[in-house]
Amino acid sequence: MVQTAAAMEFYNGYWVNSYLPAADVLWMVVILIVALLALWQARTFVSKF
Amino acid sequence: MDLQDLRKLEHKRRVRYGYMWALFCAVLWGLWYLPGTVVWVLNPFDEMYGEIAAGSGDSMALIITAVLITAFNALTVILALMVWNGVLGKFGEMKRTLKQFKPCSKWFFLASIFGGPVAILGSFIAMGFVGGAFAAVAALMYPVVGSILASQWYGEKISKRAATGIFFIIIGGFVIFGGGLLSELGTGNVPWIGYMGGLMAAVGWGIEGAIAGKGLDVAEPDVGLTLRFLGENIIWWIIAVPLLAIAGFPMVKYALLAFEPLTMMVLIFAGITFGFCYVTWYKSFPLIGVGRGQGIGNLYGLFAVVFIILFFGDIPSWTLLLGGAFCLAGSFTMFSEDTSGLESLRGE
Repeated sequence: MVQTAAAMEFYNGYWVNSYLPAADVLWMVVILIVALLALWQARTFVSKF
Repeated sequence: MDLQDLRKLEHKRRVRYGYMWALFCAVLWGLWYLPGTVVWVLNPFDEMYGEIAAGSGDSMALIITAVLITAFNALTVILALMVWNGVLGKFGEMKRTLKQFKPCSKWFFLASIFGGPVAILGSFIAMGFVGGAFAAVAALMYPVVGSILASQWYGEKISKRAATGIFFIIIGGFVIFGGGLLSELGTGNVPWIGYMGGLMAAVGWGIEGAIAGKGLDVAEPDVGLTLRFLGENIIWWIIAVPLLAIAGFPMVKYALLAFEPLTMMVLIFAGITFGFCYVTWYKSFPLIGVGRGQGIGNLYGLFAVVFIILFFGDIPSWTLLLGGAFCLAGSFTMFSEDTSGLESLRGE
């Protein structure tokens, strides 16, 4: 199913008032950074304990 | 350095890691409310809601749509956990734990019942009926349920300082969402089903935490959590979704339509945040206890509201600032506790 114009309008509407630049992409970048950081710490934890 | 000093040092490191995992949980849980909120407006869920609402009413449409979203959330979480376990090399341990149903797996399957159909579904209902910020902070009571159960059931110690910290965080949560609720009460338009969803989340996650604490006595957190989500996927995809389809709801049609690039991408990010927040939550329990793990994890309420403000552009109110200050005060009360008293997490 392709997104309708109304659905895309609602979706884009969420990011339009953001205080951050390119918020529609930035939220995914932030999630990836935090997730990779957690995974790296988990690897460190496994090697220490 | 003698053996005692080494033991103390090792214990300090474990407690520090425990608090770090709980903090990771709070940040990732807070981030989950971004994809968790926007997925509602995307197709096929938007059209599914419209079709069911036309025949069965808005409330039923919201609950049925929440079931399908929660089922997809569980599916993407387990994919994220497979990556997590793969990177940590835990597949062998997973096979061993899965085979040991009576001593190990049963606890995680039991946890999945309270965590999935009660807590996560409740949270999605709260998001759909009231909003992401409310859903995030409504569940802040869950450490009370979790720590009382853990204390009564298997005698987990809760120090006065930890109890004070949890109390501050809960007060903070109430202040954050109290303003919104009061203004809705003023207009007389209160979406009670959404508030019921928030209550389901608080009770469900509290009970799940206590059960998980018991299961983690005999199993490893990364693996235990994956089995817990295996249980949740069975509940949604083998029991709930087929039953609703038999009842006449268009579950299969919209489940197949969900494989759309933008919708899938948002669901995958929901899976990463939720899967990783959950696994770090479970990892904190054996290190600092269910009460403290849930107490620090509770900072997700503050992080969720901050992320929603930053990314959705909602203007912060004074209630948020005051509530946030309470949450931070509670966390620092717990962080600054002398860890020597935590050498044993259980009572004598």
